[in-house]
Amino acid sequence: MASQEPVVVIRDLSKHYGEFVALDRLSLTLERGSILGFIGPNGAGKTTTIRILVGLARPTSGTATIAGADCVKDLHKVRKLVGYMPDKFGSYDNMRVREYLDFFGAAFSIPRSVRRKRIEEVLELTNATWMQDRFVESLSHGMQQRVGIARTLLHNPEVLILDEPANGLDPEARIEMREILLRLASEGRTLIVTSHILPELSRICNKVGIVAGGKLRAFGTLPEVTRELSQKQTIEIQLLTSENMQAIADKATQFLGPESEITVSAAESIVRCRTAANEEKLAQLLQKLISEGHRVAQFREVAGDLEEAFVSAARVADAERAAAKKSQEVAR
Amino acid sequence: MSGALVIIERELLALLRSQRTLAILMTVAISSAVVVILKWPTSGVVDLSGAQARQVFQWLTYAMLTASLLIIPVFPAISLVREVRGRTLELLLNSPLSRASIYFGKAGAMMGFVMLLLFATIPAMSCCYMMGGLSLSNDVAKLYGFLFAVALHLVVIGLLVGTYARTTEAALRWSYGVTFAVTVVTVFPNFFLQGSDSLIAAGARWLRLLSPIPALMKIVSQQSIGGAGLIEDRDPLRWYLILAAVQIVIGSIVVIKRLSHSLLDRSRSQGIITDEQTAGVRAARRVFFLIDPQKRSTGIPWYLNPVMVKEFRSRQFGRLHWLIRLVAGCAVLSLMLTLATTLGTIDWEVEPIGGLIIVLQVALIVLMTPGLAGGMIAGEIEGGGWNLLRVTPISAGKILRGKLISVCITLALLLCATLPGYAIIMLIKPSLQEQVWQVLISLVMAALVSMFVSATVSSFFRSTAGATTVSYALLILLFAGPMLIWMNRDAPFGHTFVEKSLVLNPMAAALNAIQATGFESYNLIPAAWYFAGGLCSVLVIVLYLRIRQLTRPE
Repeated sequence: MASQEPVVVIRDLSKHYGEFVALDRLSLTLERGSILGFIGPNGAGKTTTIRILVGLARPTSGTATIAGADCVKDLHKVRKLVGYMPDKFGSYDNMRVREYLDFFGAAFSIPRSVRRKRIEEVLELTNATWMQDRFVESLSHGMQQRVGIARTLLHNPEVLILDEPANGLDPEARIEMREILLRLASEGRTLIVTSHILPELSRICNKVGIVAGGKLRAFGTLPEVTRELSQKQTIEIQLLTSENMQAIADKATQFLGPESEITVSAAESIVRCRTAANEEKLAQLLQKLISEGHRVAQFREVAGDLEEAFVSAARVADAERAAAKKSQEVAR
Repeated sequence: MSGALVIIERELLALLRSQRTLAILMTVAISSAVVVILKWPTSGVVDLSGAQARQVFQWLTYAMLTASLLIIPVFPAISLVREVRGRTLELLLNSPLSRASIYFGKAGAMMGFVMLLLFATIPAMSCCYMMGGLSLSNDVAKLYGFLFAVALHLVVIGLLVGTYARTTEAALRWSYGVTFAVTVVTVFPNFFLQGSDSLIAAGARWLRLLSPIPALMKIVSQQSIGGAGLIEDRDPLRWYLILAAVQIVIGSIVVIKRLSHSLLDRSRSQGIITDEQTAGVRAARRVFFLIDPQKRSTGIPWYLNPVMVKEFRSRQFGRLHWLIRLVAGCAVLSLMLTLATTLGTIDWEVEPIGGLIIVLQVALIVLMTPGLAGGMIAGEIEGGGWNLLRVTPISAGKILRGKLISVCITLALLLCATLPGYAIIMLIKPSLQEQVWQVLISLVMAALVSMFVSATVSSFFRSTAGATTVSYALLILLFAGPMLIWMNRDAPFGHTFVEKSLVLNPMAAALNAIQATGFESYNLIPAAWYFAGGLCSVLVIVLYLRIRQLTRPE
């Protein structure tokens, strides 16, 4: 899947609109074949980053390159390398799906004979062949999203940038969308996907970037990001039997401190600890349980979820914003 | 009824809060004042007969009717389409408000705006009344009552159009089109057929009663258009009011019936394709269709500008089969004009007929062009297609060329409609050959100016409705403004000033070329061509720079 060759390289990218800082020195590198889940609260700077990458906006400072092409200087090259699907579909009235794709194919100077074949391929790839003769505006939102992806694929781009592709889709359409995106990544394309549907995103992405308040708060694989952002980790103590579970819970509270949240699931024979305690404390707890003869089958860390990481990043950004506002007021 | 009041309050407040409404009211107040000032006696003394006052009154009434026809149709049609597209109609329909309340609320709010519009003319009307010779009840009150009825008629037409249109652009185009058809087109058949006893002529006499123009002429005690001294057998004012009332009642019932959830759930044809029909159907369609609109289209060839093809395909009447219908329609129109020219030259001279064709043709251009070019860029931005175009390798120049060519071809087809009429003129009076060529060049200039003005305006707007309205306003200013000055050619404006003003108007150049009555003494060609050419060149540069700016990263 992902190779080590970097395709998208962003270095200290900033974008200011007057005094408002939409992006603040954002840097990240993405390898070929990666699927980046680019998430953040509304107004965090996701769309600004995307618009700079596809050449719709110019950065105030910093650089962004796609397959070596500069997103400001080599705009023509970047347009051929990137397939972009904005959050707004952009349909034209009275045009059938095939005509719609034919127009964009012609816009990318694909010769007519090649274009016809290419349209068939992308329609098949997105499971949209059956809607080729339908009028674009008569399609449902989910169908339009598929046509949108087909459009981005027409010129066979290396990088696909999809802004909220799963927005407004029903569960079935979302599953189909997920399958399409995985299929595209398996072809070696690099995908940058923004979404607010985090469980969905965590299923397909091998990289996650969380942006909030214009800054990149975390970037890496899902476990790396959740570890980085979560202040508490979840430890599961799996026992062979459900005996003495309350005693184990009391012992955990004693070792990990009262601020830790301890829950008991007798049906699963599991004691769960959400704690900010360090590795040393956890090791001591395990040692104590074994020494007291408790039959511990597993002592494991549960990977944090994206939602938690997202909330954590958003809170940090909010706190920063509040602090900045306060310091401005004090200065006045 | 309280439901209607809720809607009236919301709609009227929204209208009054907009800067556009203020600008419109100011423009109407100033323009009506200008009309009075232009006709104000230069000596400061009014004759006792009241003839001067009546003349001012006549000009003011025409200005008020023109303002009503230009301004009122926009609001009701757009208001309903916006409500449907913004899904707020859904909220209204799901509230305890009845459909009738929604309708009366909307119509009431529009009429509230009309009242303000009429109030804006009161200062000018007061000055006119002060000149004497006018009766408060028989002239002034009657005129305002009549204009109120016309406004109600137009509001109902606008709301009716709004229930059928899917986009604000279509609503704007159709409401202007229907208004133009009801008020202006209905007058013309009688103009050509009057004096005849045939059934068609009788129909034409009835048809003209649908228009408010003959009724207004009756109010200002003028002969109807081209009346040629014939006595009218029906009172146009009474009959207009009766027919307008019938239309208002029927229109209201239709609008109330159509104000339902079906407006929000208008799924369009999903797209039947002939290629997938049975062999029998395919064979039948081959026989009955010169160009089958349901046939799968071939790809865009390399030698055609893709943006141009896209423009034609996405335009409601831009498909090839529609263009062929347009050509056919133009051919029929052309034959009618040819017939009118032939018959008209027996009674009149060639020049007035030529002048009439020119005025009609320019009216058609001014009516059509903002609809074609006004949404050229603004519509693309509004629909979200502009960003998609920006991320393709198509250059700004190619986008501009594609869009302009698509408008040019349609306008060229419209212009071709009257060529046989000019051919007849040349046949009747061969000495006019050179003048007819000058007319044709002037008309091409008029079309180009209209196109570039609308396209340039479009590039500065983000909504089609705004761009189209401003385009209409500018074109009317450009084409009707100098004519207003020309109408005051003896006083207060001198010959030189009028000539300089007319140079701005390519239609005046065409009328000058054909030596239409009132234009013989001016020398507008080639100065008017130079001006139009210069204006087009400047607009092309502005348009190109603007498109470049819009396609570049922000």
